[in-house]
Amino acid sequence: MTDLVVNGQTVQVDAAPDTALLWVLREHLGLTGTKFGCGAGMCGACTVHVDGVPAFACLTPLDAVAGSAVTTIEGLPGEDDHPLKRAWVAEQVPQCGYCQSGQIMRAAALLEENPDPQRQEIVAAMSTNLCRCGTYNRIVKAIQRAAREA
Amino acid sequence: MALTRRAFIASGAALTFVVGNSGILQAASAEAGQMQGLDANAWVRIDPDDTITIVFPSTEMGQGSSSALPLILAEELDADWDRVEIEQLNRDDRTFGNPIFGGVLYTAGSTGVYGYFDSLRKAGAQARRMLMQRAAGEWSVSLDSLTTEPGLVVHAASGRRLSYGALAALPGPLPSIPEVSEADFKARADYRLIGQNVPRRDVPAKSSGRERYAIDVQVPDMLYAAVLRSPVEGETPLEIDDSEALDVPGVLQTVTLPDGVAVVAERLEAAFIGKDSLDVTWSETAPARAFDSETDLTAYTAAAGDAARDGVAWRSVGDAPLAIDNAAKVVEADYLSDYAYHAQIEPMAAVAAVDSDGRGAEVWVGSQTQSWTMRTITEVLEATPERIRLHMMTMGGSFGRRTALTQEYLRDALLTSKALGRPVKVVWSREDDVKHGAFRPAAAQRLRAGLTADGKLSGWHHRIATPSVIAYFNPLRWDQVAPTDIISVRGSESKFYAIDGLLAEHVITERRARLAPWRGIGASYTSFAAEAFMDELAAAAGQDGLTFRLALMGDNTRGRRLLEKVAERAGWGRPPGETALGLSFAGYGDSMAAGIAEVALDRDSGSITVQRFWAAVDAGLIISPDNALAQIEGGIVFGLSSSLKESITIQGGEVVQNNYYDYEILRADEVPEIDIHLEVSDGPPTGIGEVGTPMVAAAVANAFYALTGKRLRRLPFTPERVTEALA
Repeated sequence: MTDLVVNGQTVQVDAAPDTALLWVLREHLGLTGTKFGCGAGMCGACTVHVDGVPAFACLTPLDAVAGSAVTTIEGLPGEDDHPLKRAWVAEQVPQCGYCQSGQIMRAAALLEENPDPQRQEIVAAMSTNLCRCGTYNRIVKAIQRAAREA
Repeated sequence: MALTRRAFIASGAALTFVVGNSGILQAASAEAGQMQGLDANAWVRIDPDDTITIVFPSTEMGQGSSSALPLILAEELDADWDRVEIEQLNRDDRTFGNPIFGGVLYTAGSTGVYGYFDSLRKAGAQARRMLMQRAAGEWSVSLDSLTTEPGLVVHAASGRRLSYGALAALPGPLPSIPEVSEADFKARADYRLIGQNVPRRDVPAKSSGRERYAIDVQVPDMLYAAVLRSPVEGETPLEIDDSEALDVPGVLQTVTLPDGVAVVAERLEAAFIGKDSLDVTWSETAPARAFDSETDLTAYTAAAGDAARDGVAWRSVGDAPLAIDNAAKVVEADYLSDYAYHAQIEPMAAVAAVDSDGRGAEVWVGSQTQSWTMRTITEVLEATPERIRLHMMTMGGSFGRRTALTQEYLRDALLTSKALGRPVKVVWSREDDVKHGAFRPAAAQRLRAGLTADGKLSGWHHRIATPSVIAYFNPLRWDQVAPTDIISVRGSESKFYAIDGLLAEHVITERRARLAPWRGIGASYTSFAAEAFMDELAAAAGQDGLTFRLALMGDNTRGRRLLEKVAERAGWGRPPGETALGLSFAGYGDSMAAGIAEVALDRDSGSITVQRFWAAVDAGLIISPDNALAQIEGGIVFGLSSSLKESITIQGGEVVQNNYYDYEILRADEVPEIDIHLEVSDGPPTGIGEVGTPMVAAAVANAFYALTGKRLRRLPFTPERVTEALA
């Protein structure tokens, strides 16, 4: 059994220590907002925060986050009133939507560190996350909006 | 998509309508208790509480038609959009299949809106008329004294109003289904929803992690399966040593499949570890072992240039060979393109819960076709459709990936669930998805054209050597359409130009990989060849690319406007400096697009950067301009990504690439500023999902020529190929 804190709640997980945090979140805990895309840290669909720092859940073994605070899309404060989620709706960002949890988690970490990022800083930070529908420019606009309206 | 049938709670009767391609087929009124049987076939339901439920007949992969199609019906019904609920069609009900595909429920080819436009409008107008007739009877007034406001019938003279729900709940017989014609539809100026940027219904759930895809489904007692598939198409497992796999904690059993071995486990992680622990000896006799993408493309190139190889005419106008023979100057060039992978971010996944007798199942899966998904299930289980409870899940991208007649990821979920007697979720890894993908075919194209002494185009011959995609991914369809394959050659019709003496033909080559439709289908490579060649012709004629194209517009005034518009917005005509512009004019089906790329080049690395992209698009009537812009922008990004980066190679019958690290797609820091002008035109809707893609590759290649004087004639334009072109 491994103890970890997910979205503010302590949970016990019965999984091998080297199990990817991604499978723990999605399949053991049913937090399916975090997505599986590549398993190789190449697409960012699985982006979560570990102690406030963005991490690829697919490359993070369970035992590395024992005792850490893990935040997923479901745990972003404010539920649908979170400035990024509001901005995502206002800019009508998602198409298929599959990568967007990871995009929003990456963006949340960026704004936490840099509340008023320049366009180039946004683009650089977001380049870890793939979107096959090509919503990249709308993502930038939504982050700018969230920074403005936060 | 959160499309759920709401509980029937209000008292009184609901009105239900069965819709087909000729409009409303049946209307019925039923009390709550009597709804059940009737409800199963209803496409539209008006409840006494004013909720209107509209069934969405396509499937959603990001294109937005789950909002757009119901909205068209709601427009003519004059429904209150806030009271409209959308429900996914979860059965193979051909009464309302896509007319573009002969009634098959199939979401592809940018056909959703234009395929269903007339029938949705008609059904909405008929339902509205029936509600007005009910009100006329209730108030004893004439029909033409009534109007509607969203969700209400209004008698202005007396100030009386009744909601649609109240009218539905009235007792008494229903009016007969009225005839309506084009004249009865709303004038476009009167639209309240169409053209108004009504927000997409799926966006809030997709902006909060709540949207549920097939890969997210969990059901009680569910197991997981990972499948080791044969590395080469056509091979079968001869010997299976699963002892190590069965030692993995949580692994329960292996199941031998026709072309693979499934490891079934209590946990997904155990299934994946178990799969990696399998030791399988495969047969080594499959012809596909000889597949080699480089050798095979060389053979296609020879076929394109071999005049003795007959082609299947795709479009013929006048006598192209004669026109070229008579020309003052003949220009000829070959264009090549590699296999391309869909790279949708959600890997293949499906959940199946097969009934204990093995002849029925509940299934959760994403696909672009209810019809072929249902067919896959009923064939695998030897079941009848009534025994299948299907849930068509929204897809994490698809781009043609989930279109095939037989869906093997679903088949594997069914077979493993049947074997274990429990629900099973099959999940492919990214590597599974790449290695066992189905690709846009590689193609070799020979373009040949004549120029008159004064530099006018005279004769155009476009030969495309590539396999038939349809023959592979849907043999049933091939039986109907052979030897004409729209998926392999679309775009080569070059119909937006007035060219006298045109021949576009398909030299059908041997299939040397698994194939599938891919965003833009044939146009993604035929329009590259055609528009890059058009630029070569302009240069050979000593003319500017814009001037040369404008001279070919004939009576295509809409096309002319697009070319002029995009040129104006991009500042066409400025001399190349650090960057240069390239023009392209393509489209998809009846939707037209003109594009200009601004390109920079790092000569040391051979790396091309597209800094800006301008597009002007005419897709007829637009349901949601904002979604159209998003789709076109996405299509441009898709086109850029494939133009600059994407290539699948095959050696010894195996796909060489593995994951996004060796099949790279465009990232945020590589995306240009994109400027799109959407031309509002009077035409019918003609599709927006793919129109952004085909123009892109040639615009980049033509800009590269403007910058360097060198031609890029093979997709993608990787740094190695760019360096080679510069040498």
